[in-house]
Amino acid sequence: MRIKLLLVGVIILSLVIGGCSLTGNKSNGTIKIASVVTTESQILAYMLKYMIEHYTEEEAEVINNLGTSTVVHQAMVNRDANVSAVRYTGTDLTGALQAEPIKDADEALAYVQKEFTSQYNQTFFDSYGFENTYAFMVTKETAEKYKLKTVSDLASVAGELEAGVDTSWMNREGDGYKGFVEEYGFDFSRTYPMQIGLVYDAVDSGELDVVLGYTTDGRIASYDLVVLEDDLNFFPPYDASPFADNELLEKNPEVKAAMERLVGKISTKTMQELNFLADNNLIEPAVVAEDFLNEHDYFSGGDE
Amino acid sequence: MQDMTQMSTTEQFLFYIQENGWYVFNQFLDHFLISIYGVLLAALIGIPLGVLISKYGKLSNVVITLANIIQTIPALALMAILMLVLGLGKTTVIVTVFFYSLLPIIKNTYVGITTINKSVTDAGRGMGMTKIQVLYMVELPLSLSVIITGIRIALVVAIGITAIGAFIGAGGLGDIIIRGTNATDGTAIILAGALPTALMAILSDIILGIIERRLDPVKRQQKRISATV
Repeated sequence: MRIKLLLVGVIILSLVIGGCSLTGNKSNGTIKIASVVTTESQILAYMLKYMIEHYTEEEAEVINNLGTSTVVHQAMVNRDANVSAVRYTGTDLTGALQAEPIKDADEALAYVQKEFTSQYNQTFFDSYGFENTYAFMVTKETAEKYKLKTVSDLASVAGELEAGVDTSWMNREGDGYKGFVEEYGFDFSRTYPMQIGLVYDAVDSGELDVVLGYTTDGRIASYDLVVLEDDLNFFPPYDASPFADNELLEKNPEVKAAMERLVGKISTKTMQELNFLADNNLIEPAVVAEDFLNEHDYFSGGDE
Repeated sequence: MQDMTQMSTTEQFLFYIQENGWYVFNQFLDHFLISIYGVLLAALIGIPLGVLISKYGKLSNVVITLANIIQTIPALALMAILMLVLGLGKTTVIVTVFFYSLLPIIKNTYVGITTINKSVTDAGRGMGMTKIQVLYMVELPLSLSVIITGIRIALVVAIGITAIGAFIGAGGLGDIIIRGTNATDGTAIILAGALPTALMAILSDIILGIIERRLDPVKRQQKRISATV
């Protein structure tokens, strides 16, 4: 009987201790990082978590799998979270701030930084160094054959080419298909709306000549696709930045410093590679993030 | 690095576990603790409540009906409602698990105590025990295995509910499953989340089943008799 009691005691004790690691850190204003379902967002969420835990005494918790950027915004306003893994200028401009789209990248960033500070007391950091927007892409062979560098270069040959685009982009107002035809003044011989995940394989296998994809998708690097420059600045800028609540940053300046270390450190190409590791090579975003930070020694340079 | 898309699902699964083993283990632990906490909280409230309603028959209908009503709300809906109050994260999921665990625990406690042979408790009273003594020395030990059955049912259900909790950012193995559904070719990832979840449910069922049989007074007595013979 005594042994049984002892056993029960040990189990309860171990649960209580285990519980501290699970929920105990909630009490003293833990850092909560909100992330949407995309691989990119999850990788960046874990990067911020590990950076903050590496440089400060604070514990950070990732709130994963939120549905959309709107949910993340609401979570931050309701104080369920105080850091966002990644926010895109274009998304927040028309989403959270309900403003007109701004085509110039720097102007857009300056605008959202100013507005988030004054309206929500939140900080929109400078960009990580990459943007995730729509871009037209072709295979290397196609690019060489027609000497393609910019989207305008497509004008003369577009009549011979077949394109694949995101279904939602087809019907979108403003920066959708209609707007594109008006702005650039040409049309493809046929345009197939399809699921965004399929376009990369379609262009790689040669079934389509040109597709509209996301600039940070890992398959761009692995299929060696050429991204055509949007020379008329048709697509609004979607520069990616870390994001946090000012209350947290003022209370913990070290957190701000830790987050700022990532600013400008992740190029579009790097993000493509990281996404590729997670999407194609089955490595968990958390593991991808940790490996990346270890590889770069947590960006400890510039301490002196 | 190899091209993963060329491998079979089994190979991908093994590769995934090999690469992310530590991460999967951590999520497993989180998942388990969330479930356990919800059930333990429910036991703390549910067992006393079950004892109470077994003594005051009039209350039993009200309490069990209430617990029944809670049980009919879909898990996702209850979680969404609680989320509005408690916000995102683990706390909300623990509270959801708590609500779902109440019914099996209350009901089993109630049934366990009310089905005890009246002559046994009367014998206790006849020996001069107080009501509290009867409860602790006669009723609770005799109904313990039935109460454990309730906890066992609650825990298995809780593990399933915690998997849904990934939708409101609680983490756990559900996280891995959701990521698998979003990935281009995520069958292996889905398996890596689903198999440990199933394993956890089966293991807790088996372990609590063993405890339950050990505490069953009828079987204990049979064992003692067979040992003496």
